[in-house]
Amino acid sequence: MSAPLTEEDELAAAELALGLAGEAERQAGQARLHDDAGFADAYARWLGWAAGLFDGLAETPRPSLWRRIEASLPANDAAADMTSRLRRWQVASWVSGAVACVLAAVLVTQALPLAGPGPVAGALQAPMVALLSGADGVVSVSYDPATTRLTVVPDRLRTGGRTPELWVIPADGRPRALGVMPADTPGWMAAPPGAAKAMGAGVTIALSLEPAGGAPGDHPTGPVILSGRMGATA
Amino acid sequence: MGHDTATLSPRPLDDALRAVARGDRAAFEELYRLTSAQLFGVCLRILPARAEAEDVLQDAYLSIWRRAASFDAARGSAMAWLITLTRNRAIDRLRARGVARETADATGLVETVVDPAPLASDLIETGQAQGRLAECLDQLETGDAGLIRTAFFEGLSYAGLAERIETPLGTVKSRIRRALLKLRACLQ
Repeated sequence: MSAPLTEEDELAAAELALGLAGEAERQAGQARLHDDAGFADAYARWLGWAAGLFDGLAETPRPSLWRRIEASLPANDAAADMTSRLRRWQVASWVSGAVACVLAAVLVTQALPLAGPGPVAGALQAPMVALLSGADGVVSVSYDPATTRLTVVPDRLRTGGRTPELWVIPADGRPRALGVMPADTPGWMAAPPGAAKAMGAGVTIALSLEPAGGAPGDHPTGPVILSGRMGATA
Repeated sequence: MGHDTATLSPRPLDDALRAVARGDRAAFEELYRLTSAQLFGVCLRILPARAEAEDVLQDAYLSIWRRAASFDAARGSAMAWLITLTRNRAIDRLRARGVARETADATGLVETVVDPAPLASDLIETGQAQGRLAECLDQLETGDAGLIRTAFFEGLSYAGLAERIETPLGTVKSRIRRALLKLRACLQ
């Protein structure tokens, strides 16, 4: 407990918490919260008491409201997380690029059969599939390197009215657009040549939400809501 | 993993909020599950039309999602933080509509309105003895309690109250300040 507040301070804290203060007092009070712990405690106490005025009024909202909230969640934190992961991949790309070169050299010289993620190098010819998952639905993406075609199947995908666009992110960390996809029906598309070259087992496939027609530039502009890793089927 | 441990923690909402601050959607869903009924009650108390209350509740949870990191457990309970944020969103909406005035016209002067609060016995536990304010308000003269409730539920400052009940600002202010001191004595 801090030093006891004067009556005037206590009243000021109560007025701030209950919203009684005028604008000038409110601003002064807000500023004071930062550097007067006793005042901040009193304010928190009054806020807690005031919150109790809503006791006994609980009422369950319609279940659909959660769907609405979830669908409208800006992917700020998640996207920031995703973005930072993308950046880490970018940073790591120099390293993994070097590793890939070494691996390629090893492969060439020793002809070892190597399973698992092999970034970019050694284009697999067998069809590949990625399952993209996240809070906003699931999308399965299969890719046939022979035809460079993608088949996409969205399941309960929530786009909030925006256009889902797929990206391939290989080891260099730079996303290449695979194209926009239907939000609620299966579909197929041809991977653009640059993106097709980047395809391979182990690459990341990400889905971002974009304006109609897809991202205007060559990188995602909206939140990345789903991602998954491309795996070989054979 | 915030939401997994949340149910075991003595302060599940604190844990959930911390996880939400890290962008944990599962924790956010858990937080919604734990708090949406209470926060919907807050919205409905201020905005009785359900559709509007739902809009505000959605708004409030988006704010919670964005601002979870600013919750400080040392500065009060998570529930109080959530309620305050939700109440502020609802008040914002109320002000945007300019409905406070219409309500005043419809219900007449606050002075004559019987305190509309539910009985304190109808409390749902929010972690601390918060419901005590309602009890203590019940011990005030009805007019004073009604004014304080009106200010809180309609987002009126002293000036707004004074205008509402057509009483000089100074009179309203000293009257409520006296009531606030009585409240504090009762609450402590």
